[in-house]
Amino acid sequence: MRNLIKNVKGFLIKIGNIIKTFFWNVRRIINNFKRKISNFLDKHKINPAGKFPGWAKALLYLSPALIVLAVFTFWPIINSFALVVYENYNMTNNTITGYTIFGNFLRVLTDESFIVPASHTASSAVINTLIIVFISVPISIFIALGVSVALNSIKPLKGFFQTIYFLPYVTNTIAIGLVFAYMFRTDGGLVNQFIGLFGVDTAGLSWVESNAVYWRSMFVLIFYSIWSALAFKIMVFLTSIQGIDKQYYQAAAIDATPKGRIFSKITVPLISPMIFYITVTSVIGAFKIYNAIVALFGVQGAPPGVNYNLQSIVMYIYQFIDGSKEGQLSVAAAGSLILFAIILVLTIVQMQVSKKRVHY
Amino acid sequence: MDKQLFIKSKKIESITFIFDILAIIAYIALFLMLFNLLQLPDLDPISGSMDLDNLEFLTPTYELLGSNLDKWQMNSIISILVIFLVVTFPMLFINIKKNKTRTIYEVDSYAVGSKFVQALINLLTFNFVGAGLRIYNTFILIKFVKGYSPKEFFQSIIPAIKKWFADRKVKKEKINEDTIDEYSASLKRSIRRQNTIGALRMLGTYLFLVLMALIIIIPFYWMVLTSLKTFTESVAINPKFFLSISRWNWVNYKVVLTELNFGLYIKNTVTVAIFSTLGTILTTIFAAYAFARIEFKGRELLFSILIMTMMIPGELYIITNFITVSKNGLGWIGMPTGENKYFLAMIIPFVTSISYIFFLRQNFKQIPESLYKAARVDGCSDFKYLMRVMVPIASPTIFTITILNVFSSWNAYIWPRIITGVGDPDAKNYWLISNALRDSTFVQDSGRVMYNLQIAASALVTVPLLIVFFMFRKYIMNGIGRSGTKG
Repeated sequence: MRNLIKNVKGFLIKIGNIIKTFFWNVRRIINNFKRKISNFLDKHKINPAGKFPGWAKALLYLSPALIVLAVFTFWPIINSFALVVYENYNMTNNTITGYTIFGNFLRVLTDESFIVPASHTASSAVINTLIIVFISVPISIFIALGVSVALNSIKPLKGFFQTIYFLPYVTNTIAIGLVFAYMFRTDGGLVNQFIGLFGVDTAGLSWVESNAVYWRSMFVLIFYSIWSALAFKIMVFLTSIQGIDKQYYQAAAIDATPKGRIFSKITVPLISPMIFYITVTSVIGAFKIYNAIVALFGVQGAPPGVNYNLQSIVMYIYQFIDGSKEGQLSVAAAGSLILFAIILVLTIVQMQVSKKRVHY
Repeated sequence: MDKQLFIKSKKIESITFIFDILAIIAYIALFLMLFNLLQLPDLDPISGSMDLDNLEFLTPTYELLGSNLDKWQMNSIISILVIFLVVTFPMLFINIKKNKTRTIYEVDSYAVGSKFVQALINLLTFNFVGAGLRIYNTFILIKFVKGYSPKEFFQSIIPAIKKWFADRKVKKEKINEDTIDEYSASLKRSIRRQNTIGALRMLGTYLFLVLMALIIIIPFYWMVLTSLKTFTESVAINPKFFLSISRWNWVNYKVVLTELNFGLYIKNTVTVAIFSTLGTILTTIFAAYAFARIEFKGRELLFSILIMTMMIPGELYIITNFITVSKNGLGWIGMPTGENKYFLAMIIPFVTSISYIFFLRQNFKQIPESLYKAARVDGCSDFKYLMRVMVPIASPTIFTITILNVFSSWNAYIWPRIITGVGDPDAKNYWLISNALRDSTFVQDSGRVMYNLQIAASALVTVPLLIVFFMFRKYIMNGIGRSGTKG
């Protein structure tokens, strides 16, 4: 028995040695081959590392990203200009009936419920979007400025408050939107309960359900978009306020400058580039509002049983992809190019202004 | 300072962590066991779905360790376990972080006090070994900070309290107002006035901050509260603002996970998140490296083209991408049932991101070029340099990108919705969590909207995000602050 074990052990060691020598041999052969190549290269004075062009190496590193980007980012940009000139593009069998230059744009611009409110409704996509942009952006910027100045002036609990204000940024828009819709219910909703505390009769006071007046459901939408947009603005304003040189404040403190004056003459001018940047980005963000509307009012974009619609420009575009007017992708492309044009103008304005207005 | 004592305390703390972790594992195991036991309504033999209308009228009894528990006792036990988890898990997480970074100079009476409070929490959460070890540790730290042995410490308590009262009495002795002159009196008045104004301003600031914080917090509170209510409570005219722990209906979550299929949707979302994040990390690192270090013709041009595409709205892409992945393009969707590759269609378009390439390139650029040259002189290839030097240095940024990308996959709504909305009956099994949340029907046959279940599903989507956020708060907030200020 002991002999057998010894034999087996010896056998295993032998096999192990064979494998080891095999790999050593392979390594030696490869190294020899390498040496031969380098000898050859040296002989003919070729230096591969020097001759290997930079772009080939770059292409190797860039190719995974560029392939995906080419298919899903660059091609769509080219293709949407192609789609716009198709007439009656049919997605299922990939056919068109002809070409038009402005036909699809005209269809969008003259469409009921894009700019001009449809006869049976009181609102259109552009009007809704503009209302959201012009109300929610200024209010949220004012609140965010106030909060970040207040946060900057305290020491205890600062991190705690900062964390809480950041919470809306990391939440799911749809999930919290459903919670908001639930909070604004007519019977037994939290908001109606709260208003009821002040003696207002809340029976039948509807916000997001049937019989909701346009301005009430718009209020909920704007409230929700401000609530969810605050986090990012507070964050950015706070970092830029903390970056202001303390000397300005010390000088102001020696002169016993009132707080309001410090705010308007030191803080705001010094962070004005950031305020401007945030204004433009949040205007762009508000133009693209979509998830909040879907979360609050469903895919139709309106409370049930009302004669208006709360759809935004993006929602108008998506109804051609999956929605009431499914399949008319050319019109959708025209709509998205119009949205792109708006955003492009805003971005150019931002770039020009931020070049000129540098405060420090 | 006695260094040996500090090292000893650190060692004991790390032993305590083992028991903390064991306790948490025990809570989780118990929670899962009891959660599995929770009884659901019977399946309807005809329609195959549950009758959720009488979910709240079920009164099952559970047998546990030889005793019979009714529904309310079961709810209480599960609630207590969840509360234990909510308290102990963050405590463990913070303690491990602190134990790693705490230096000998940071140990003060405050640290001793917090250790004692932690021992009490351990005691309350039935982690007796942990509590004992922590109390022992407290005495070591007292010895370290004050130099008292336990006996001396107990003897010193009463004199210390007496001294404190005596000190307060001395402070309260008034200065006689008549003896000070006019000038110092007016100075004193003005100082007092300024102090009052300062205090009032502080009060106002805090009130404002608390009010705003309440507006932020209330939806979350209301969500968690409603998700545990019964249907009748969730639609009551006068909603309850607090529930006693026996009324927390954990069965809501079980219904959402099983009957409403949210378990499957979570699995889908996690799959998509993992693969798209892996892809994003790989492609982003390589592309950012190429833009940051490799010199080639047209680098700046290519990069500025990429940056320019960042301002194009996503709707423009979605229209064509929808054509690309459908029947006339790559054929991933829109095919007959069973031949659709929904996962490919949901992952592949998102395996790279221009904004992350930009973000990471900025980070790579901050690494000194001389490091690269030195490595090249030593014969280090580009790939090796990237993997051995760049990636480890930039790992916090890469981690931030990972988290942000997982978040965006978790929150993706419109693309999965369009993909799965093409009329395939099988498509429902490929929903991601957000479009499941919006498009699942929470309406019963009787016409009731099951608000409590809907909100429970919302909580199920939100809570994981919040947990990850609280764990990696620093990375997320830094990443967003930086990318915001530089973009």
